[in-house]
Amino acid sequence: MGLAALGLMEQPPPTSVGVIGWLRKNLFSSWPSGLVTLGVGAALYAVGRSLMDWVFSEANWKVVSSNLEILTWGRYPRDQVWRLAVSLAAILVLALASRRARRGQRRERRWILFAWLLSPLGLAVLLRGLTLPTPLTVFNHLGYYLLRPELLSVLGVEWRGQVAAVLVGLLGGLCWGAASTRWRVAIGSASFAMLGLLAPYGLLRREILPGIQLPNLATTALLFGVAWVLGRSAFRRLANAIVIPRLLLPAWLLLLPTLIIVLTNFDVGVQRVAPAAVLPIVEPAIWSGLLLTVVLAAVSILASFPLGVLLALGRRSRLPVVKGFCVLLIEVLRGVPLITILFMAQVMLPLFLPTELTLDRVLRAMAGMTLFTAAYLAEIVRGGLQAIRREQYEAARALGLSEALVTGLVILPQALQTVIPPIMGQFVSIFKDTTLVTIVGLLDMLAVAQSVIKQREFLGLVREVYLFAALVYFVISFTMSRASRRIEGRQGLQQTANLGAE
Amino acid sequence: MTGPIIQCTDVHKWFDHFHALRGVDMQVEKGEVVVIFGPSGSGKSTFIRTLNRLEEHQQGTIIVDGIELTNDVRNIATIRSEIGMVFQSFNLFPHLTVLQNITLAPIWVRKWPRDKADEIARQLLERVGIPEQAEKHPAQLSGGQQQRVAIARALAMQPKIMLFDEPTSALDPEMINEVLLVMTGLARSGMTMLVITHEMGFARAVADRMFFFDEGMVVESGSPSDIFDRPKEERTKLFLSQILSH
Repeated sequence: MGLAALGLMEQPPPTSVGVIGWLRKNLFSSWPSGLVTLGVGAALYAVGRSLMDWVFSEANWKVVSSNLEILTWGRYPRDQVWRLAVSLAAILVLALASRRARRGQRRERRWILFAWLLSPLGLAVLLRGLTLPTPLTVFNHLGYYLLRPELLSVLGVEWRGQVAAVLVGLLGGLCWGAASTRWRVAIGSASFAMLGLLAPYGLLRREILPGIQLPNLATTALLFGVAWVLGRSAFRRLANAIVIPRLLLPAWLLLLPTLIIVLTNFDVGVQRVAPAAVLPIVEPAIWSGLLLTVVLAAVSILASFPLGVLLALGRRSRLPVVKGFCVLLIEVLRGVPLITILFMAQVMLPLFLPTELTLDRVLRAMAGMTLFTAAYLAEIVRGGLQAIRREQYEAARALGLSEALVTGLVILPQALQTVIPPIMGQFVSIFKDTTLVTIVGLLDMLAVAQSVIKQREFLGLVREVYLFAALVYFVISFTMSRASRRIEGRQGLQQTANLGAE
Repeated sequence: MTGPIIQCTDVHKWFDHFHALRGVDMQVEKGEVVVIFGPSGSGKSTFIRTLNRLEEHQQGTIIVDGIELTNDVRNIATIRSEIGMVFQSFNLFPHLTVLQNITLAPIWVRKWPRDKADEIARQLLERVGIPEQAEKHPAQLSGGQQQRVAIARALAMQPKIMLFDEPTSALDPEMINEVLLVMTGLARSGMTMLVITHEMGFARAVADRMFFFDEGMVVESGSPSDIFDRPKEERTKLFLSQILSH
């Protein structure tokens, strides 16, 4: 690492020789220093020895090993855990591929970037599950939003058949007027076939249409005829409007679903038609354990970064409304404790969303943490932006780059490079703060650990569980800060190389 | 072909209450090399920065290549892509390699394919004499090399006009010549150039006309021989004697 690795410097003369030399220089350079070394050494020995004694002889690690699964993936269904393994494997493969491709072809890099951008979607599908719409569900939802069922109930049951007949008749008549003779036969038979579809319901008095009986059928047929004539004459009158023939095909395509919906008033039911489950849904509400901890942290990190950058840019905007909004959001979010934000996200978020859309508790917690982190990131990024000299803007503008390109290609990359360490620090801190979601009733790893302690057969084994939990948090945080160091190192390498050439 | 490529009439500029430009008139023909000199604070730098609207003028008209400079964003973008600018402190983009510095604007503004932009960038690096530095970062280059990259970066947009704002004042003495050499070559190739410099040897050899700025105004203008051998104004004489004495 550093200069020596780059071969830019000759070896400096050795300053001390061997272990003894190092000890003398660093630990026992003077009397006070030697005393401190001995004192600290003794204390470390005492603490370390009793800890080791406990870890290796007294502690009962069975409480951890037999609960390892529940600590890791919580209540995620056992038979679906393979999906977590697949997700993990996918991330590892992507990470390895991007490592390999750093010096590779541009096209290869582009593919990997594309894969990374798509990965959140893929992982979300893997974790939560996937159901595919069947024709029937599409049909139902379409109908539901086209003709609200509450509207249809105004239309009495016995009238539905008539309405359907009128619709078919009108459209059929319109087409009859529009088409050449060759098509007329087809249209005619199509209309009658549709009308025929209605007939059995009426004749057999199916439950779906209780009101329709033979006399009604007669009125229905009559109405159909009238509508037909009306449609035909309407077309003749509107024949000059060229758009009409083009509208006919879509009209037919819409007619069929409309008919069925009119006739059944959603008796097939939005709820009753289940979509095809490709991967069974595992609702986020039951995500728990380390899985929840990691997912919460990953989502808030990934989502807050672009949001934070946008907020930072917005805060420097020349448009007063944009600027005011960003300042307000940032200051409010930073002025409120994370716990409060988590509570607010549970209670307030539904107010801003349409009533059909109910967000899961876990998703609400994610939203809260994302906003919180984004506000802090925005301030960090703003600091980075302020460090960029005015000349960089001028040079970029003088080349004819638009303001968006000046920011995106010249200013932002430099600003982000300078603030990598604090950004990574913020990420580590939000990872540790995921433990706070216990308060809004979510079971992250620490919460699961607390419930493990209460198991009867492991009563009193508190230390083991907490020590294990602490170790897991530490390993992950430490890995993150090491990764941060490596990214910084890569930037630093560039700068040392620069220094070397100066 | 028709008329001057730069036409400035009665250009005024204020910084708050400081009257930086007080009615500058200047016409530059296509292919002309104009040297602008004068004491610091005389407004010469402000003036050439109004030409690509890094500064706004508040009164008077500036017409560059047939387009009047107003607040219309499209006009400004068009003008900026037709005018190359070289700064005193190079202002290369430190996060990009030399090659990326040069190809950035051609790729994003001119929409050239990367291969074409790379090829032209390498040709330009050849022309400014540092083809071997393409993959380095700016901070790994000497000042003279950085300034030559900056010239190549401006030329990559194939501008009609090049502005130089004291391109050699931040350089160590031994590097000034390599930059002036590139600029001389550029002038010989018929580029329209406005150069702020106190390199009077360069001015005498290359300039078609010279403008002496003081207190936001053009005090005197003329061919290099007029200015150096027969200066009319006292202020010009004084300034020339000060910078030529050492």
